[in-house]
Amino acid sequence: MSVDSARIAVPEPRGAPAGRAPDERARPEAMSGPRARQARQAWLFLAPALVLLAVFTFWPVLWGSILAFTEYKIITPPTWVGLQNFEDLLDDPVFYISIRNSLLYLLIVPAIQLGAIALAVLVNNNLPGIKLFRAAFYMPVVTSVSVVGIMWGWMYNEQGLINAVLQWLHLINDPIGWLSDDRLALFSLMLVTLWRGLGWYMVLYLAALQSIPKDVEEAAVLDGANRWQRFWRVTIPMIMPTILLCTVLSTLSAMKVLEEVLIMTKGGPVSSTYTGLYYAYDQGIRAFNFPRALAASMVVSVFCIAIAWLNFRFLRPRHR
Amino acid sequence: MRLPALRSLVRVARWPGLLLLSCALLACDSTTAPDKVHVEFWTMSLKPKFTAYFNTLLSSYQASHPGVALEWVDVPWDVMQTKLTAAIVARSAPALVQLNVPWAYDYSLVGALRPIDDLMGEDRALYTDGAIADLTFNGKLYGFPHYNSVNVMAYNTALFRQAGITKVPTTREEQLAVAKQIRARTGQYGFSPALGKIAGVFLEEGLPLIEHNRAVFNSPAHVALVAKLADAYKAGGLLKDKLFSEDNYPASIDAYKSGRMAMLEAPPSALTRVRDDAPDVYAVTDVAPVPIGGPGIAAGGWLFHFAMPRDTTGRVALEAAEFAKFLTNDENQLAFAKLAGAFPTSKKAAADPHFQNMPMDTGAYGKAMAIGAKSMNIVRTLYVAGVPGFERLNKRLQDAVESAIIGRRDIQAALDDAVAFWNSKLSP
Repeated sequence: MSVDSARIAVPEPRGAPAGRAPDERARPEAMSGPRARQARQAWLFLAPALVLLAVFTFWPVLWGSILAFTEYKIITPPTWVGLQNFEDLLDDPVFYISIRNSLLYLLIVPAIQLGAIALAVLVNNNLPGIKLFRAAFYMPVVTSVSVVGIMWGWMYNEQGLINAVLQWLHLINDPIGWLSDDRLALFSLMLVTLWRGLGWYMVLYLAALQSIPKDVEEAAVLDGANRWQRFWRVTIPMIMPTILLCTVLSTLSAMKVLEEVLIMTKGGPVSSTYTGLYYAYDQGIRAFNFPRALAASMVVSVFCIAIAWLNFRFLRPRHR
Repeated sequence: MRLPALRSLVRVARWPGLLLLSCALLACDSTTAPDKVHVEFWTMSLKPKFTAYFNTLLSSYQASHPGVALEWVDVPWDVMQTKLTAAIVARSAPALVQLNVPWAYDYSLVGALRPIDDLMGEDRALYTDGAIADLTFNGKLYGFPHYNSVNVMAYNTALFRQAGITKVPTTREEQLAVAKQIRARTGQYGFSPALGKIAGVFLEEGLPLIEHNRAVFNSPAHVALVAKLADAYKAGGLLKDKLFSEDNYPASIDAYKSGRMAMLEAPPSALTRVRDDAPDVYAVTDVAPVPIGGPGIAAGGWLFHFAMPRDTTGRVALEAAEFAKFLTNDENQLAFAKLAGAFPTSKKAAADPHFQNMPMDTGAYGKAMAIGAKSMNIVRTLYVAGVPGFERLNKRLQDAVESAIIGRRDIQAALDDAVAFWNSKLSP
């Protein structure tokens, strides 16, 4: 799972956006004088970022979406073929495997969220050396995915650390093919993703925990709530917006997982670790079939949007 | 916007703006003088081992060609296709790029490379016939041949002795039987065939994939070969790590160096790594020709050459062609081949006594070079050409064979399904 996308995310604002008039209906009439100048200045400062977004995000997305409906070789102009590329996807069993694996990858979302909350609660204590632990848990986030992939590749090797430890403990006789057994490979990759992502979400949860006002906790203590009740009745509701944010981010990252597959298994063995985005990469970069790669990307995007919508539908806090 | 706001913005943006402008102006001032022809060429994973070799060549060439400005870029092999594709689309491709034959073929099919018949001219006679044939697609020549490779079989004599094996295998069938025996008697792996390139494995054995535009790889002979591979896999004779990867070489050489695998099929240069990293294993290593399949073709042919992207035209094309001929001339090919442990593709260099009269008693590496040189006349780069949408078809074949070898599917049924898919896509 990529955590890059998470880094640009901004938590949901708690109040009304700055500068917005209390009475929305009066806005058109109110856009004059200092307020209009303020709005123009805001747009002016936003302009560089918007131009970059337009050139490097919106335009590629738009053009890529159009190309998904064309027959296009890299040197010939595209010709419109309608839904042909999508029909080809439906004709390819590897694409079904890819989408199934991307959905299976969502299994790590609850694991990563629960793990990150537990870690955040743990490192939120004022214990000696706790900063060292925080840094250690965050280390995988700042480590290059290539390094992570190579390191885990060694550990998963049949002669690697994991098999050596398991054999030393007499838990197994023959080494396990963590990445060479088609029934295990995907789960092995999921574990790496989990390991990489925990630290990032832990930091977000830690920030949320530290923003809970002390007086709320103290009031709960005065009311006789025990530690467990305080956690469920005070802490969890107070960090619910962060839970929503983290869940959406980790869900989208899980659907878009690519790097682990690319570095560690390249989709094998027997296509068992193909994911939606890796399929798109494979079609585009390896097979030069850009339209089908774009069509696959569009399908993955539809799944991402649907799953993000479900997250908002069921996790959005109803009461502030 | 009111003037003061604009003024304040200009004030803020003034210095970064000036800096950007300066950078832009500096960027326009190319280091290439206007009358010089800029020839950029890409090589594949040759730095840092061959940095000195190329720098010497570049200095010498530029001294004799003052009108040419050379720029050497070395690209790791695993990102070469990505970078080159992007560069071709962006019309910023180099004048020359080092490629292997299957990649060049793929690029030629989509018109991303230009034929070089006009630039090669009479000089094509300087290169070996096999190299020219490897680079001729649809009747047109697409590259200046550089160096070739051929596999030899290194084997661990200690493991052979321990397993009671006295005869070195000469066929694939014998090799698979030996692999099972090694596993049964020593607990180590036999070898790691390149199953990630199953089409090549079939072709090496003389088993065609297509006949009369119909897929035929579900014949009894194909099924029998897959059954033998599956049998060896089940018996633990084949190294499982990266067995089905497109590139299983790193895992294979690691296993051989650590004494976990008895036979290593690799180019002779692999022996230098064994010698340097695992002298104890090197000391018990002997070398034999790779088991030759049905058509009598030696495995491991992998020709590298310099191709020209489609936008290399005019004076740049002429200068690039001259430079490519310099890089691949007899003298430079011989020097590179000696340095790299590879085999030259120019006739004169290939006939050099260094390759033809190599003593067999110079250790495993020397013996490997001698055996490799003797196999050069039967080596070809094997790949499937002329099949539209081959990547997708090959993926289906690959998955069918993989699932059959690891026992997930019946061999005949898996190959039948893949053949049916191929035939549904091949035009009648």
